[in-house]
Parts: sequence; structure tokens; C-alpha cells
Amino acid sequence: MSVLKDTATVNEDDANLLVLIIDTNPLIWTRSAKSTGLSLKEALRHLLVFINAHLALKHDNEVAVIASHVDVSKFLFPIPTPPRLSEDTDQVVDSNLYQRFKVVNDQVIGNMKDLFEDITTLNSYPDKASSMIAGALSMALCYINRIMRADEIGHIKPRILIISISPDSPYQYISIMNCIFSAQKLGIPIDVCKVHGEDTVFLKQAAHITGGRYLKLQIPQGFLQFLMITFLPDRFTRNYQCLPGEEKVDFSASCFCHKKMIDIGYVCSVCLSIFCHPLEQCSTCRTNLILASVNECGLKLVNGIKKLDKAKGRESGGST
Amino acid sequence: MSKQHKQAEEYIDIDDEIQTTAQQTGYAWEEEYKRSWDVLQEDEDGSLKRTVENLQHRMKRKKLFRDTSTIRRGIIRHIFLIIDLSEAMMEKDLRPSRLELTLSYAEQFILEYFDQNPISQLGIIVTRGGIAEKLTDLTGNPMDNIRVLKNKKNTDTDGEPSLQNSLEMARSTLIHVPAHGSREILIIMGSLTTCDPGDIYDTIDSLVKENIRVSVVGLAAEVQICKHMCKKTKGIYGVVLNEVHFKDLLFEIIPPPPVSVAQSKAELVIMGFPSSVTDSMPSLCACHSKPTTNGYICARCNSKICDLPTDCPVCELTLVSSPHLARSYHHLFPIDNFVEVPWNSAFTTHCFSCQMPFPNATTSLLGTRVVTETSGRYKCNKCNQHFCIDCDVFVHEVIHNCPGCLATTLSIK
Repeated sequence: MSVLKDTATVNEDDANLLVLIIDTNPLIWTRSAKSTGLSLKEALRHLLVFINAHLALKHDNEVAVIASHVDVSKFLFPIPTPPRLSEDTDQVVDSNLYQRFKVVNDQVIGNMKDLFEDITTLNSYPDKASSMIAGALSMALCYINRIMRADEIGHIKPRILIISISPDSPYQYISIMNCIFSAQKLGIPIDVCKVHGEDTVFLKQAAHITGGRYLKLQIPQGFLQFLMITFLPDRFTRNYQCLPGEEKVDFSASCFCHKKMIDIGYVCSVCLSIFCHPLEQCSTCRTNLILASVNECGLKLVNGIKKLDKAKGRESGGST
Repeated sequence: MSKQHKQAEEYIDIDDEIQTTAQQTGYAWEEEYKRSWDVLQEDEDGSLKRTVENLQHRMKRKKLFRDTSTIRRGIIRHIFLIIDLSEAMMEKDLRPSRLELTLSYAEQFILEYFDQNPISQLGIIVTRGGIAEKLTDLTGNPMDNIRVLKNKKNTDTDGEPSLQNSLEMARSTLIHVPAHGSREILIIMGSLTTCDPGDIYDTIDSLVKENIRVSVVGLAAEVQICKHMCKKTKGIYGVVLNEVHFKDLLFEIIPPPPVSVAQSKAELVIMGFPSSVTDSMPSLCACHSKPTTNGYICARCNSKICDLPTDCPVCELTLVSSPHLARSYHHLFPIDNFVEVPWNSAFTTHCFSCQMPFPNATTSLLGTRVVTETSGRYKCNKCNQHFCIDCDVFVHEVIHNCPGCLATTLSIK
């Protein structure tokens, strides 16, 4: 654990571990291809160039690619037993291509193909609009943990980049938050590139809390350029970059009962569920809640308003 | 090494009990001599590597087992940290000295405490020269607490500590804490004696009555009164063996304690979720009266606050942001312990989450059957995925998510 903690300080000659999480929800990618012209195939070509660029920056840079599919999260690269490598690639050795690029590209493409060919489980998932981003993030963190553990001198600096297209899935809120907090604790920045659709609140929070970058892709044709400029710089270089003004992150809470956005809520002291109106029994943990305290709080409220009035009176008296 | 007997005549019955337990476990110096080298056995190559690996494995595993039942926990905590600043703290049996180590651990403790319990509060009381002194009141801000500990003037040592005075001081504040929050006191005690103005048993009784849980970390030897107090108030009492053990004991207090339904009332707490503002011109904040441009606006009274979570200084509304609440969720929904996979069902080749290759059953069956005791695979009972020991530890201690359950559809349904 102590090794992991000094990931916060970065040096110029540190190696970088990039864990790339690609959201591969086929339904949304099709939608994206129709509306903006950026299909998964096209995006993957951009991403492979980006990965190669990352590997080319430093000889000891490392990369891992995880697919966050509709029903499963899976490692695309590296995988412990690469079967495709021996079948396809060994015959064709391209002398014009750096071998490492070729290995990465072939494995990512090959495994991605496997993933899409296996559609047996596609129908079983209840929430098709989303992908298994929480699982992918957990795997990424475990993988980083393993690499950091092996690296005794703290030379490798990890970061995570999520290529996101699916909207947030409320099922995954707690698990995503858990991942975010562990990443924050370990000093791993989570970058997010939102390729299609509305902003995701969860991932925006992820980038904000962990000190990563959040980018909503405006021009899909320029995907590669955005990747290169925004997400390629390593953590050391980022200290010297000036980003455009930070966007507001929405930390407002919504109540569990109506999913309404609220400013003031009633929170169950046992399970921390948020409600927009006082209840007698918590709907999440089934504890009987004492309303007396709300009355007490209500008293406080009245007192607070009185105090406020006084303060305001003083303020207006003072300023005018 | 000896136990302290203060007011020995009152203690006879309790002392007897202690002695019986001591007879069962025996003192360390009375135990049979353990021949630790007998455990080590060379494998067929004459190497100890595998045995050492096994031992490491077991040690990691030992740390792991924890209670995973969903029990009610006091998430909203109020704790007073009482630090003994008597002359006994200048002893150098812990390095660099008891005091310096205590202060540096206290700082780590405070940071970790607020990290794990973001909507809780903590205050610091020090005791020296027979009196107690409150350094900080209950506050939700870790930096306030750390700042006072950094101040050298606050950490001078003098005379004897006063257990009763400091307990009374903490109690007088804690009784005003709302019923939904837990009330706790943590004492770091270096001295073996205490200088009390009255009968400390009355204080202990009143602590029990007010549901205040007292835990003590002793730096010297076991003290009867501390043990009695912790037992009565359902706290934890530990005496440190060495520096590392000190930290372990202290950090045991960090996860929120389980509470019985009778002990604390469940209440609806009003909380505000303030919006953040960035002004072009600085304005004064309500908490420190300093000009700032960034801040949060209280949802009820519109006063400006520098930092979350806090209580609004004007209308006393508890102000939090939604991630603060989310940070506590993992205490409420802990994940189950993984179970060890026996060799006969160890068919997986690599760890599900980190892709680490597993040891292979056939390679370890070389010649004279030197099989490692464990298969190195641990299984989540919900998703049936296999994980390596490092991921097992990491998942339970840091992430609090099972990657297998989240990455496969089976468990969602």
C-alpha cells in the first residue's frame, strides 16, 4: 500500500501505465454511427493509433485495454494466453511495423471480435442502455494494483482513461463511487472521454474527484486529435499544461423516492438514504424513524431563520 | 509488566476473573517454546521459497477475515480523542518517543477517520498536570484538528494525566450530541497512573448511562481501571506491543462500530446539499470571515461556506455533498469474504481481475508431491469467479466491490 501512495509525485522519466476502458455497447455505437458518423470500427482505428502513440512516447510505457460491454467486462489486452497471436500474426511479419504495436493492435482487434461474436448473453442483461463500467473500473484498479505491487521503486505511474458512450446506470452508482474513492485514495487519475450522448454525471464526478480530465467530444471526426491533445500527455506533462476553465460538476443529490433534485433533504441516519419529505419508515432499510427529531430540526429551522433574519437585519442596517 | 492495582480491595472479584483467563492462555513467558524453524521445510530443490510463500500467504489471509454480515452501524459518529501528555509519554520505548509516535499516528488516524467517516465529527482533548484541556471542539474538518496537534505549545508534557477530568470534559460535550449519532471516546494512554479528583467509578457509570463508548490504547502495560472502563462501555482495550501494533490498534477504531437497535435511535436528519459558487469578486465566508472567491452556498440561509462537509455556522444545518454520503455506503453493504478454492476444483488459469497467472497443479506435483497447501485461488460465492490473494485483499480493503459480480451478468438478476 505504501508503494501505491507515492504515485502522487511524478517525475519526468517515470513510465506510464495507461488503462484504457472502452465502452463497447453495440446498441449505442450503432446510434452514434447513425447520428454522428463515428462508428465503433472507426473509433477503434483512432484508439489504436492513440495507443501506439502512447507506447511510442517512452519505451517502458505500458498499456492495458478493457472492454466494458453490455453484459460483461473483459480484458482485451494483455491477456495471459493469447491464442490468436500464434494463429494469425506469426505468418505475416510486417517489417515496416514496430512489433509491439502489431501485437497490441492484433490482440485488441482479435479479442474485440471474439467479444462481439459471443452474443449469447446479450439478451439476459436487464439494463441494455448501459455497460458494465463499474466492473471494468474495478478490474482496472486490480490490474493497476498488481502492476504497482510488482514495481518496487514506484517508477510506474498509472492512469485510467474511459471512452464512454452509454448513459449512467443507476444500478451501478454505489459501485462506481467505491471505485472513484479507491482511485482517489491511490492517487490514480481517471480521465473520461464522452463520445456520444449526454454528459454522464457519475463519470464527470469521477474525473473531478480523482483529478482527471473530462472531455465531451464535440467533433466526432476529430476523435483522434482530441485524444492526442487532451489525454496523451502523461501526468508529469500535465503539471505544465493550462486547461480551459473548469466545468461545473454537479454534486447535487436526488431523493430516493422520486429522483427529484433537492437542496435540502431528509437523511435516514441508519442507511443514509435521502428523501424529499419526512417518512415514518425508511423505505430502504425498513427502520422506523422518529419524526420527533424532524420536529426538533424544524425547531432548529425556525431558530435558524430567526438568526438569519437578525443577521440580515444587521447586514442591511450596516450597509445602507 | 505488573498490573496496576488501584483501590485493590474493590477489585478482588474482577482480579480473580483475570487470573483465570490468564491461566487458560498463559503468560507469554510460560508458554511452551515454539520451534518456529520446524515449520520450514525444504522442497525437492532444497529451496525454501515455496514454504516462505506459503507463510506469507497465510499471513495475508489472516488479516482478511472480517465480519461481513449487514449489521447496523453508527455511521454518523462523534468521537473525542483524548491524548495523554503526562511525563510518561517522554519514554523512548517506542521510537522515536511515545509522544512523537502518538502525534504522528494521531494525525494519520484523523485523516483516515475522516476519509472513512466523512459526515462524522472529531474533537481533541489533552490531559497533563492533573487537568484536562480541550484543544478542539467536535468538528468535521480534519485540518482544524491536525493544525492544533502541529502546534508545539499544545503538546508539551507535564506531570500526571487525569483520566476522570478528561472523561468528564468529553462527556459534557458528547451528551449534547443528537441521539442518531454514536458517542465515542478514544484514549491514548502512556501513563500507568491517573490523578483524579473524585470517584472515577461514578464517571464510568455516567458514561455507560449516556451510551458513550470508551476505547483505550495503552502504551505501557495493562491498567485495570482502563480495562474495566472499556468492558463496561463496550469499547476496545489494547496495549501496544510495538510500533506497528500501535497503529493497528488505533486504526481498529476507524470502521464505524456496530450499534444495537436499542442503543441509538434512528432518526431523519435534515441535511443541506449546497451548490458551489465561483465569484469574480471575493466575498467573506461565514465560517472563517475570510475573503474567498470559491465556496458553497447554504441551501437554507444562503450564507457562504468554504468547505464541505460542515454545519452551517449561521443556521446549523448539516451541509454535505452527495459523494460524502456515498463514501459511507461501503460500510453498509460490505462484500462477502472470498473462500479458498481447493486444488481439485482449481481449473482456472489466471486471476479474473488482474490476469495474474495462477500456480498450476501439475507443476507443483513434481516428484515427491510437494504441493503448496493452497491453490492460490479464492472464489466469490456470488459470481464464482476466482481471484488471487492480492486481489482478494485489495478488493476487501480498498475497492469494496467484487469485480466478478460487477463484470458479469449472472449476479445482477
